[in-house]
Amino acid sequence: MKTTFAFAAVAAFVAVSAPVKADNLVFSSWGGTTQDAQKAAWASPFTEKTGITVVQDGPTDYGKLKAMVEAGEVNWDVVDVEGDYAAQAGKNGQLEKLDFSVIDKSKLDPRFVTDYSVGSFYYSFVIGCNADAVKACPKTWADLFDTAKFPGKRTFYKWSAPGVIEAALLADGVPADKLYPLDLDRAFKKLDTIKSDIIWWSGGAQSQQLLASAEAPVGSVWNGRMTALAATGIKVETSWEQNITAADALVVPKGAPNAEAAMKFIALATSAEPQAALAKATGYAPINLDSAKLMDPETAKTLPDQQTASQVNADMNYWAENRDAIGEKWYAWQAK
Amino acid sequence: MSTCSDASGAIMPLPKVRRATGFGWALPALAFVGIFFVVPVAILLLRSVLEPVPGLGNYAQLIGSATYLKIFANTFIVSGLVTVISLLIGFPVAWALAIMPGRLTSVIFAILLLSMWTNLLARTYAWMVLLQRTGLINKMLIGMGLIDQPLALVNNLTGVTIGMTYIMLPFIILPLYGVIKKIDPSTLQAAALCGANRWQCLTRVLLPLAMPGMAAGALMVFVMSLGYFVTPSLLGGTANMMLAELIAQFVQSLVNWGMGGAAALVLLVVTLSLYAVQLRFFGNQNPGGR
Repeated sequence: MKTTFAFAAVAAFVAVSAPVKADNLVFSSWGGTTQDAQKAAWASPFTEKTGITVVQDGPTDYGKLKAMVEAGEVNWDVVDVEGDYAAQAGKNGQLEKLDFSVIDKSKLDPRFVTDYSVGSFYYSFVIGCNADAVKACPKTWADLFDTAKFPGKRTFYKWSAPGVIEAALLADGVPADKLYPLDLDRAFKKLDTIKSDIIWWSGGAQSQQLLASAEAPVGSVWNGRMTALAATGIKVETSWEQNITAADALVVPKGAPNAEAAMKFIALATSAEPQAALAKATGYAPINLDSAKLMDPETAKTLPDQQTASQVNADMNYWAENRDAIGEKWYAWQAK
Repeated sequence: MSTCSDASGAIMPLPKVRRATGFGWALPALAFVGIFFVVPVAILLLRSVLEPVPGLGNYAQLIGSATYLKIFANTFIVSGLVTVISLLIGFPVAWALAIMPGRLTSVIFAILLLSMWTNLLARTYAWMVLLQRTGLINKMLIGMGLIDQPLALVNNLTGVTIGMTYIMLPFIILPLYGVIKKIDPSTLQAAALCGANRWQCLTRVLLPLAMPGMAAGALMVFVMSLGYFVTPSLLGGTANMMLAELIAQFVQSLVNWGMGGAAALVLLVVTLSLYAVQLRFFGNQNPGGR
């Protein structure tokens, strides 16, 4: 017990104080199964190919990122962030411009490419349902907001981010191509109608727990979590009707010590095969357009990129512009 | 259990107990606190009056907004509730521990400490599992025929209060135990001999003697509750948001350090003034009884 502790303490100390050498690269992501998959699908082949060790760090924390950049003491080289944050941070001068002579963007889904970021993977907010716990599963956002037809608790993402406001507006009958600029007042009015029936989830594992335990048998969740839930044997149904997509993005913080290696890492991470491998492991879609043909058909049909028929794109640029203002209103409404 | 009174002594403020004879020994510690605590806090506070524009705008916004005021109120209501309930449960437990035979005491201490050392997140999730609509408690109550609809025990004030009280209990039991253990049983006997009934023994002898321990424990629980993050975030609903979560949101997700700093300063000032009050009234009565 004591030795384990001592060992852990020493390991932690070394991890904190190890000088970032040129043949090292620090990658920060959100932890959990997604980062495990990123490690296996991206970092391992990268190290094999280049000899550069990839040190995993995380979870990603925007406050920390900002502090590093401002202090000129950056120790993350590549960071997995949310798409709207990437757009905002790029504008605020906190990110390095990506080197597209190293990263081949011709094969990447253009929806997720900016001067400062490329997609990491993309996901959809879908309507998830524990089919054992309810009489009928909601199919549309309007259904999910209809407490008469579908009584009981429903779960939504707690934080101010693309997804819930769009869902409320779609449920209220706003056509998908007229979503932006978001009519916040209308969205909150719609959300008011189900406010007392909402249980919020703040992390993916919690959304699974709420659905599986039938604490909230229906709700809006990340599609990958439904794939994982189905794999545990629980009878779940996913409705892709108007699935709302957003992407994570890979960025290089301004002043990253190994920016050159970072570009190479991003080039590899966004290439067809590693993207396919990540998609297979996580249930999230690849952003490389060539990855689809590398997927086995069984996995492919559970990914958002096969569900484009009624897909709604969350507008990352709009969110980047209005992130703070929306956040303020969002939390004010929640706390009411 | 001398170690326990040591432990409880160590977490109390200990003014004037050991009169410092030389300043030198304290220098490394002071330097550590200075570099890793005072400087970063000062920077954060500076940002609260400098960002996004110099002035007191952030504070005006904090105080002027009904939302933030509600979050302040939530924070104090939850902390107060947790403190009172912890005292009500903790006092009898500490009392029982103090008068129990030695072996039983160590078993209960072991349970207390083990629960304290268990991962906070795991304990919070465990409460979630127990309290939810399909959870053990609701199932049991329904099975016994006491209720027919599951009670809403989680994602609201009830959930936060239960979860936090459970987590705070050791912090009130340990200092209380230290104080009660030091009370000479003969004072109670003397009171009884002088004709005091049980109620009088409790209110006029035991409670006043235990007061420093209660005050120290209550203050610690209250202050820790003010800054609590994980449990309210997981067991509460959005209507019960507390200050720590607001600060985290400002700093981590909205990257608005000005507002985050302002909210943090308010929390710091409240905490320090509470300590000041406690020192003023109980500062000379060291609960460790040295």
